Amino acid sequence: MLPSIDLRIANIIKALEQVVQPALAPRERLARDQVNLCIGHLRMIMEQWRWAVAFEARSLDAMIALADNILPSVEIVWHDELASALDRGWWVDRQDLAAVEKAIVALGGVIDRIILGEDGKYPLTDAVRQAVLDYGEAQAARERAWFAGTGLDPDRAELSSIAAMMDAGVVR
Amino acid sequence: MIRDDLDIWDRSEMEPRIRHILERTARLRHTGPYRPKTNAEVTAMLTRFFAAHDMTDIVIADVERMSGGASKEQFAFTLSHGAKEAQGERLVLRMDPLEAIAQTCRGREGEIQVAMAGHVPVAPVRWFDADGDLLGQPAVILGFVDGVTQPSDGDGRAVSGMGGHLGSLADRLAPQYVDALAKTHRFDWSRAHLRYFQAPRAHSRQAAIWQVNWWSGVWWDCLVEPVPAITLAERWLRENAPVCDRPVLVHGDLRMGNFLFEEPSGRFTAVLDWELAHIGDYHEDIAWTMQKLFGSWGDDGTFLVSGLLPRNAFIERYQAASGNVIEPERLRYYEILNAYKCAVMDLGQAMRATIAGNNHQEVVLSWLGSAGAVFLSHMIQLIRES
Repeated sequence: MLPSIDLRIANIIKALEQVVQPALAPRERLARDQVNLCIGHLRMIMEQWRWAVAFEARSLDAMIALADNILPSVEIVWHDELASALDRGWWVDRQDLAAVEKAIVALGGVIDRIILGEDGKYPLTDAVRQAVLDYGEAQAARERAWFAGTGLDPDRAELSSIAAMMDAGVVR
Repeated sequence: MIRDDLDIWDRSEMEPRIRHILERTARLRHTGPYRPKTNAEVTAMLTRFFAAHDMTDIVIADVERMSGGASKEQFAFTLSHGAKEAQGERLVLRMDPLEAIAQTCRGREGEIQVAMAGHVPVAPVRWFDADGDLLGQPAVILGFVDGVTQPSDGDGRAVSGMGGHLGSLADRLAPQYVDALAKTHRFDWSRAHLRYFQAPRAHSRQAAIWQVNWWSGVWWDCLVEPVPAITLAERWLRENAPVCDRPVLVHGDLRMGNFLFEEPSGRFTAVLDWELAHIGDYHEDIAWTMQKLFGSWGDDGTFLVSGLLPRNAFIERYQAASGNVIEPERLRYYEILNAYKCAVMDLGQAMRATIAGNNHQEVVLSWLGSAGAVFLSHMIQLIRES
C-alpha cells in the first residue's frame, strides 16, 4: 500500500510541526495547544492502528472470560440471560471491529445488571466481586499500556509497550 | 449520633441544582454539535448581555481566546463603559459549551467565588448568567487575574494541570495551598445565603450519597461502553457510605493547575475552578488533591501532593491549619469516590461529549479520556485494600 498509513501520519505530523505550528501567533494559545495534542494523538495512532482490531477482540475475549467465570455464581434470574449473551459473544467475528464493540456493550450490559443486583435487592457474592476486580485490573492495565503515549500515567515506567503487550497476548 | 433513614439506593437523593444541570444536559444534548465561538460571535453575545443590563455605552475590545481547562470555553476581553472608563477593564468570559468533561453550574461557580472573596484569593466575579438566559449559554464573567499555573521556565507540557512540575517554587506555594484548603473548609457557608447550593444533613450519609448519585447519574446517562469495575465501585460506594457529622464547603477540584501564582514571588493570586464546589465532607478535598495523577515526583523520587509536598507532611500541615482530623478509613472512602468520579468524567461524560461533537475542544477530551484506565487501576487497588 503506497503511500502507507505510517507514511501519511508522519507527513501530517511534519506539516503540523513545521508549517502549521510556526504560523500560529503566540496569542493563539488554544490553537497552539490543540495542534500539540493533534500531534500527540497522531503519534499514538501510529503506534496503535495496526493492533486496533486485535486489541478490541482481546477486550471481548477478556469480558467473555469474566462472564464465564461468574456464570456459576450468579442469581438464577440472570443465569439464562448471561449464558445467552456469552454464547452470542463466542460467535462474533473477531475481525469485525463494529461487531466486537457491539458484543462488548451487550455482554457488559448484562454483567452491569448482575453487579447492581436490581439496586441492591440481590447480594453480590464474593466470587463475582473478585472476578470483576481481577478482570477490571487486567483490562485497566491493558488500556494503560495502550494509552501510555499520552504521558499522563504516573506509573508509565511499569507499563509494557503496545507491541510487547499484544505479542504476549496478556497484560503486562 | 446518626440521624439517618437514608435509602442508599434512592437515586433521586441529589442536590436539586445538580439534578437540574444533569437534566438540562440530557435535554440539550441532541441540539449539537457545538461549534467553537468566533471572536465576533462572542462580541455580539456580550453586547446583547450588557444591553440587557442597561449598559449600552460600551466598547468590547481585544477579544482573545484563552487556553486551559478541559471544560469551559474561555475568552479574555476588555470592557469600556462610558467615556470616563476609556481604559476599560480586562475580563474573562467562562461559558459552557453544550457538553464538557464535567457538567456544572455557572451560578454556583459565580456565587461561591463572591462568597469566598476576602477569605481566599479568588478572581472577582462581575456577572454570571446561570442558565444562559441573556448570553444564550450559561456563563460567568470574572475580572482578569495575573499569574501562571506552572512556572514559565518549565516544559509547559501539562494538560489541564496534569503532568506539570512546580520546581523550586513548591516550598513557597505549599503553605498557601494548605491555607486555601483549610480556609475553604472553615468557611461558614450557613451564613453565606447561597441560592444555588443546598447542604446535606449533618450526622447522615447524605453527603456521600448525594455525590454517588450525582456521578452515577452522569455515568448511566452518558454510558458508551459498560465498565464492570465502575459499576462495582458504585455498589461499593453506596454500601460503604460514611456518615458526615459536620458538612463543610468542599472546593471539589483543588490541585496543581487550579491555582494561579505570581512569578518570581510565588504569591497566590487566585484559587481557580470552583465549578465542582459543594457542601460535603472535607476528606473529599483531601483525597482529591492526593491523587497520583494530580501530583508529581520530587528529585529524590518522593511523591508530592499537587506537586508541592509529601503526603504525610501535607496531612500534618492540613490538620494543623484546619483543626480537622483526617480519618484514614474515611479518607480511603473518598479516594475511591474520587477515582470513581474521575473515571466517570473521563470514560463517560468526556466520551459522550466527544462522540456528540458537543465540545469546543474534543481533542483535549479524548486525550484526557485516555487517562480513565489510570483512575480505574487506582480505584480497584483501593477497593481491594478495603
